[in-house]
Amino acid sequence: MPESTADPVIHVAGLRKTYKVPEREAGLKAATKSLVRRKHRDVRAVDGVSFDIQAGEVVGFLGPNGAGKTTTLKMLAGLLHSSGGDATVLGFVPSRRQKDFLRQITLVMGNRNQLEWDLPAMDSFELNRAIYRIPRDVFVQTRDELIDLLAVGDLVTKPVRNLSLGERMKVELVGSLLHRPRVLFLDEPTIGLDVTMQKRIRSFVAEYNRRHDATVLLTSHYMADVEALCRRVIVIHHGRILYDGQLSALGHRFAAYKTIEVDLMDASADLTRFGDVVDRDGDHVVLRVPKAEASAVTARILSDVQIADLTIEDPPIEDVIELVFAQESAE
Amino acid sequence: MVKQGYEPTPPIRRFEPFRPFRIAWIYFRVGAMNELQYRANFFVEVFQSLLSLGVGLAVLALVFSQTSTLNGWSRSQLLAVLGVQILIGGFIHTFVQPNMTHLLADIREGKLDFALTKPEDGQLLVSVRDVRIWQAVDMITGTVVLIVAMLQLDHAIGVVDALAFLAAIMIGGSMFYCFWMVVTTGAFWLVKMDEVVELFEGVFQSGRWPVGTYPRWLRLGLTFLVPIAFAVTVPAEALTSRLNWQTLVFAFVLAIVFLAFTRWFWRRGLKRYSGASA
Amino acid sequence: MSALAERPSPAVRPGAPAAGGRWEPLLPEAGRVRSMLGVYAQCFRTSVITGFQYRVAHYFYMFGMLAEPIIYLVVWSTIARQQGGSVDGFTPGDFAAYYIVWTLVRQMNIVFTPYGWEWRIREGQIAGQLLRPLHPIHYDIANLGGWKIVTIVLWLPIAFALTLLFHPTLSPTATEIGVFSVAIWGAYLVRTMNLWLLGLVTFWTTRVSALFEAYAVVELLFSGRLVPLQLMPGWAQTAANVMPFKWTFGYPIETLTGGLTDAQLFGGLGMQALWTTIGAIGVAIVWKRAVRRFTSVGN
Repeated sequence: MPESTADPVIHVAGLRKTYKVPEREAGLKAATKSLVRRKHRDVRAVDGVSFDIQAGEVVGFLGPNGAGKTTTLKMLAGLLHSSGGDATVLGFVPSRRQKDFLRQITLVMGNRNQLEWDLPAMDSFELNRAIYRIPRDVFVQTRDELIDLLAVGDLVTKPVRNLSLGERMKVELVGSLLHRPRVLFLDEPTIGLDVTMQKRIRSFVAEYNRRHDATVLLTSHYMADVEALCRRVIVIHHGRILYDGQLSALGHRFAAYKTIEVDLMDASADLTRFGDVVDRDGDHVVLRVPKAEASAVTARILSDVQIADLTIEDPPIEDVIELVFAQESAE
Repeated sequence: MVKQGYEPTPPIRRFEPFRPFRIAWIYFRVGAMNELQYRANFFVEVFQSLLSLGVGLAVLALVFSQTSTLNGWSRSQLLAVLGVQILIGGFIHTFVQPNMTHLLADIREGKLDFALTKPEDGQLLVSVRDVRIWQAVDMITGTVVLIVAMLQLDHAIGVVDALAFLAAIMIGGSMFYCFWMVVTTGAFWLVKMDEVVELFEGVFQSGRWPVGTYPRWLRLGLTFLVPIAFAVTVPAEALTSRLNWQTLVFAFVLAIVFLAFTRWFWRRGLKRYSGASA
Repeated sequence: MSALAERPSPAVRPGAPAAGGRWEPLLPEAGRVRSMLGVYAQCFRTSVITGFQYRVAHYFYMFGMLAEPIIYLVVWSTIARQQGGSVDGFTPGDFAAYYIVWTLVRQMNIVFTPYGWEWRIREGQIAGQLLRPLHPIHYDIANLGGWKIVTIVLWLPIAFALTLLFHPTLSPTATEIGVFSVAIWGAYLVRTMNLWLLGLVTFWTTRVSALFEAYAVVELLFSGRLVPLQLMPGWAQTAANVMPFKWTFGYPIETLTGGLTDAQLFGGLGMQALWTTIGAIGVAIVWKRAVRRFTSVGN
């Protein structure tokens, strides 16, 4: 059934969160003064953020530490009260933490476990079944499907404390999805995991989203997470949205240059007249040129220099993001 | 205007007064079953329980080598006090303390969020999720000591006394829960609450003697601050027919007040944690 | 051009092996005794500074330990008043004096426990200790010793408050105070040795808690911690004289409160020295075995 005018699953308008942080200078005099009168500074963790997320979208929140990603996520999960603005998730106001709302969401935080430490994961699953009131037959089916998808069959009978970090994350995911939530809040889910495990988790989330049309909100400062999972990305810095749109267009919007990699026939050729030489290793040269001039420069190189191979590339997304943040910080 | 939310299947509409008990029971069953497999811990607990009992009995023996009553309490009556103290101590170490240390750690490590995103009451979840079943050995030891003390008393206890004892124990137990819950909730404001656990163990030892033995200022603290009077002395008084019904009614009312205060304090703590305006 | 410069040719290293093939250390060695005193002084200093920083937590800890002596004090004073003013010659004032001094001696008794050893092994700290050129017990003694100094300072206001509350009868002579000041450190050393020995058992078993609890009970009954030893039955007092526990607890308290003769005062110090030596010999023997076991079995 086409849902072209469907209500967004997550609706955020002008969301703000301001913290009062006690401020004190170093030194004995300032310390004694602060005993009498506390000075406070306002920290704007989230500073007027607005976006809508439709059902089934996988959206990545990208930003450096302290950008406001986790704070936004917590406000949407109902864990933090906002200082202003609106937010609704599944039609509910999150901070009211109504039971019908909580039964449809799940929160997964990287590096932190909510499964009971001393129990085998299976026992924790039973606990979740009771808490989320999942009918037994649905529960068994969902559980077995998840265990299968993540290949944790032999891990779920061991106490959680005996599992490695990556294994814990996998069983953690099973436990968090038993109640078939419509919205998944994933806060840095792959942090601290090795590369293989990160890929495993990413492919699982992608598969889950494909099968169940769940809406996923993912925060990360790993570009690889976002690249693998999210078509749409929201870049946050200093509590404000810098970009909200397709990941592929991010580079186009912000990158001002392209890289040209050249394999020379003659290793002594000097290419500095064509653009910035950022790297040179024998006969392999990497040039950086402004985007607008890329094709013209390429043409000149092809005509003036003897080459074995030439590649034109967009800069890696990480560099683009870094540049964006650097620009914002410089303001 | 907020649109009617998406509905989970089935939605929660029923009035369920027993739900908290069901949740508590599930956590207890799962936790206890799991711990029971570590049988070696049972023997360790029995050993420690007996050691502690031995010390208690040695002290009683020393005291009664010098005198025949202490403040009007006979030897077997004091034995009953010892029994109640061990019993209540076992209850606290089995059901209350594990949850409180868990909660303290969660507040410190930021893991409380998990308990708060579950569709059950936060205070309920953090109060029942842990159980240290082998500590219940103390509850058995305490009961045995109580029975021995009862057998040594000159007169048998009536049904009224027994019922009063049960009521007093439950009242005392809930007061202790309130005490621990309030202290741990304080961690929302002052994160370093670990020392209080140390403090408690020491103060709890005072329960081995009836609170009347202590000077007035200490007695007040042991009644209203750390409810040892209500958790240990009052039930012992019930069993030894020293209890008057006014005290029991007062204890009951006080317990209700404490429970209400604990609930209110917890919600204040949550508000602070989630940054809601006061 | 690559940013990497060419590799520099290896410089001639100082202290190259002599004809015998052994390498000399690069730094000259300071005197052994002086170095050890230096370590002690440094550890003391660091502990004192840290200890004062953590004074709030320290006070909480000390308050928690007040419950025990106050309970004993109250119970025995009640008995004394019931029995017409004294029990075995102890008046409520005498009990108050005993138990107030008790609080300081209790603090001096706190040393590294077998549970601490379990933690050390679990956290992998043993390897680090083995690499140091000084026996690890010196670090423990010095670090905890610094904390003791902080404890003594923090205890004074507590003692003052307790005096106001419980009215002890106490009038020590100068000699007694002097011997007391030495005796509390003697108690610290004796108990350090005892518990180090007990702690070393953790190298062989993980279930050291049962052993420690049993030890604690015996110590409780025969050290003078529960009651002044004069109140114990005769056989217990004789037993206490041959065990080391009395010299860590009851004896230091009585130097101040018990009206001991000079012979008893200084004889007690001698007993402390004796038990410390016995303990030290035990530690030396067992530590070697423990290291051997650790290095062969691993973590």
